Amino acid sequence: MQGFAVALQPANLLWCLVGVVLGTVVGIMPGLGPPATIAMLLPLTFLMNPAGAMIMLAGIYYGAKYGGSTTSILLNVPGESASVVTCLDGYQMARQGRAGAALGIAAIASFIAGTVGVLGLMLVAPPLAKVALSFSSPEYFALMALGLAMVVLLAGRSMVKALLAMLAGLWIAGIGTDLFSTTSRFTFGRMELLSGVDFVVVAIGVFAIAEVLANMEAREETRLLPVPKGLRNLLPTVQDLKDCRFAFANGSVVGFLIGVLPGAGSTIASFISYGLEKAVSRRRERFGTGVVEGVAAPEGANNSETGGALVPLLTLGIPGSGTTAVLLAALVLWGFKPGPLFIPENPALFWGLVASMYIGNVMLLILNLPLVPAFAQVLRAPAFVLYPVILGISIVGVYSASGSLFDVALLAAFGLLGYVMRKLDYPAAPLILGLVLGGAMERALRQSLMMSEGSLSILVARPISAVMLSLALLILLIPLFTKVNAWRLRALDS
Amino acid sequence: MKEIAALAVMAFAGSFVEVAFAQGFQPTRPIEVVVHTGPGGGSDLLARAVALMVEKEKLLPVRMQVVNKTGGGAAVAAAYLAEKKGDPNTIGFFTGVWLTSPLTSAEARVSLKDLTPVVRLVLEPAVIAVKTDAPYKTLADFVAAARQHPGQLKQSGGSITSRDNVVRQLLQKHTGARWAFISFPGGGERMAALLGGHVNMMVIEPAEAGEHIRAGNIRVLAQVSDRRLSGFPDVPTLKEAGFDVPAVPQVRGVVAPPGIPKENVAYWEDVFLKLTRSNSWRKFLDDNQFEDGYQNAAELARFYDEFTDRMREILKDAGIKTVR
Repeated sequence: MQGFAVALQPANLLWCLVGVVLGTVVGIMPGLGPPATIAMLLPLTFLMNPAGAMIMLAGIYYGAKYGGSTTSILLNVPGESASVVTCLDGYQMARQGRAGAALGIAAIASFIAGTVGVLGLMLVAPPLAKVALSFSSPEYFALMALGLAMVVLLAGRSMVKALLAMLAGLWIAGIGTDLFSTTSRFTFGRMELLSGVDFVVVAIGVFAIAEVLANMEAREETRLLPVPKGLRNLLPTVQDLKDCRFAFANGSVVGFLIGVLPGAGSTIASFISYGLEKAVSRRRERFGTGVVEGVAAPEGANNSETGGALVPLLTLGIPGSGTTAVLLAALVLWGFKPGPLFIPENPALFWGLVASMYIGNVMLLILNLPLVPAFAQVLRAPAFVLYPVILGISIVGVYSASGSLFDVALLAAFGLLGYVMRKLDYPAAPLILGLVLGGAMERALRQSLMMSEGSLSILVARPISAVMLSLALLILLIPLFTKVNAWRLRALDS
Repeated sequence: MKEIAALAVMAFAGSFVEVAFAQGFQPTRPIEVVVHTGPGGGSDLLARAVALMVEKEKLLPVRMQVVNKTGGGAAVAAAYLAEKKGDPNTIGFFTGVWLTSPLTSAEARVSLKDLTPVVRLVLEPAVIAVKTDAPYKTLADFVAAARQHPGQLKQSGGSITSRDNVVRQLLQKHTGARWAFISFPGGGERMAALLGGHVNMMVIEPAEAGEHIRAGNIRVLAQVSDRRLSGFPDVPTLKEAGFDVPAVPQVRGVVAPPGIPKENVAYWEDVFLKLTRSNSWRKFLDDNQFEDGYQNAAELARFYDEFTDRMREILKDAGIKTVR
């Protein structure tokens, strides 16, 4: 209640609104991410009171997660790394004339999961932070292995092709300076590759650029279905909402829990939530062709992840991602001492922030739903306008993120790779999955082995990691079960 | 093509410098401040704090804008500064990594020595911390335990060229004890590994340690500093604890692109000297438990050599291959 007293002060309400609007804009634009935006605004925050400033910066953080899905769904251009998975089903929905439904579901899932994330932050932050500390490298390795096992769910017709694509992704993840020995790997003497290949460049390349290339060869007008007229057709149906019941819960819980772990992040949360959704779905085979759950689960997960990520930041002073690191920096610069005593010593700030996040999520829902029909109109543009726009947004997005023309060249190369993969029927999602998980997974494995002096038994001797590795094994066996089952049914028939 | 572009840049910058020279140097555009960490990293934080203090103390006629050029230790940021040859409106904030990454990475072709030294600003001491429930009451206890179980105790830290590992190498060489060093890319993960009991020890910034000490999570065994920090009056320095190894500080300071006239350097020396004498600066140092490390350009150039030689030897002892 004390929190709402802070958050409902007119000035703070205003800052909350400014934050979520800015966040939405930043999320929609590929390239410029929340960490850079927040860092740019830091000097301004010194003119504000800390509560208002914190409320605004947090608004940018979770607001960006709302905006991120927009370009993924409409243009197949992931606006943020956490929205890459949303491309898989979201863009397919848009192609079928259901862009409005996809955008609407994304907003609703974001709202539900975002609110659950705040609820978690409010209720269980301190005890949960303690549990998160029991996670270390072996557990992170198991978590990444679990994520990587999702590849069998992302595979199209050919498992071999999916695995090959995943291996390519793992290889790309290995490019750059090795953290442990500071040796350069696969940099071909290029300084630009020392920091590795930015995952967003690859994602935009293989999704957006490849999409444009594939559509250029179509002689006839592209097969975009017209956007239906009438507001009713632009919003999700009751059936959509029913289909998403589990996805809402899944996204909320998975996102929050993974968010609490300082070494994971929202991209991994969205992938795991998508995989889980597909694994338990009754219409598993239709994922990737435009099912609403495929949008709701990852979009929910990346929103409740923000609530989770604030847990270690505010209860222990431990940042888990780029954005939380900047928020930590902001707290320090304002003269606070983030750490285990931060909440007990600054209750008004903490509870004010929590209350503002409830309000901010409501604002975002109100803000985003009316935008849905407007955004859906984008797809009315004829192909000769739409595709150059996609190209432009992709290139500007990549360039504005790094300011490096080398990255633009990489974007072109990965666009070409994506096109070739498409022609040869290699799925792109496993490549991205390998790339997202590869770096963290390798690091976790090597850290684990350093801890155990080279013995692999550390991975199975620790209960949490053993459970997750068994789950990963189980997921790997799913296609086998399906095959055996189909074979059995056929045998019964004949 | 590249040569032509470089010539054009030089000619352009040259004309700029001449103008500046004629009037006595004054920055004309917002100052671009290049750092090698992402938003929220150590250098980024210092640069942003300095930008705020410079503004508050009205030391510059223009604003300072922080630009993040991450990658390859500090290779990307250093190369970026080198490309800005002669640009009077760009400076960079360096750390020891700018000197060490060219030692281990063939691609990191630009070293601090290729840039124009300006000033050294701060020396960051550190403290050696363990969890409160650990059996080690002193650094000697920890070293004795490490000697008893060679390689089994663990320290969490950054990359192997980071100050954390340098402190470990020096202590190992001095005592003959051995323990493992586990690299974590983010400071948060390092701390989480210590608090979760997955590693036994960590070399940590005093300000960060302070909060966890107040909360009773960690205990500090010794401080990596030549004299006791005001925030840790009861904790022995390395020397006082009986370990006669150099207390390697993390250094931070300012460089400019190559080809900058002496006048500009003198201007910057003056700005930063004024900054280090301001009240905001003293409060900043105190809040973070940093030490004033001001050195002018000439002293800084000598410091480079000492530091590089010492690092090369330490890396050699650690079995890390150096390329330069």
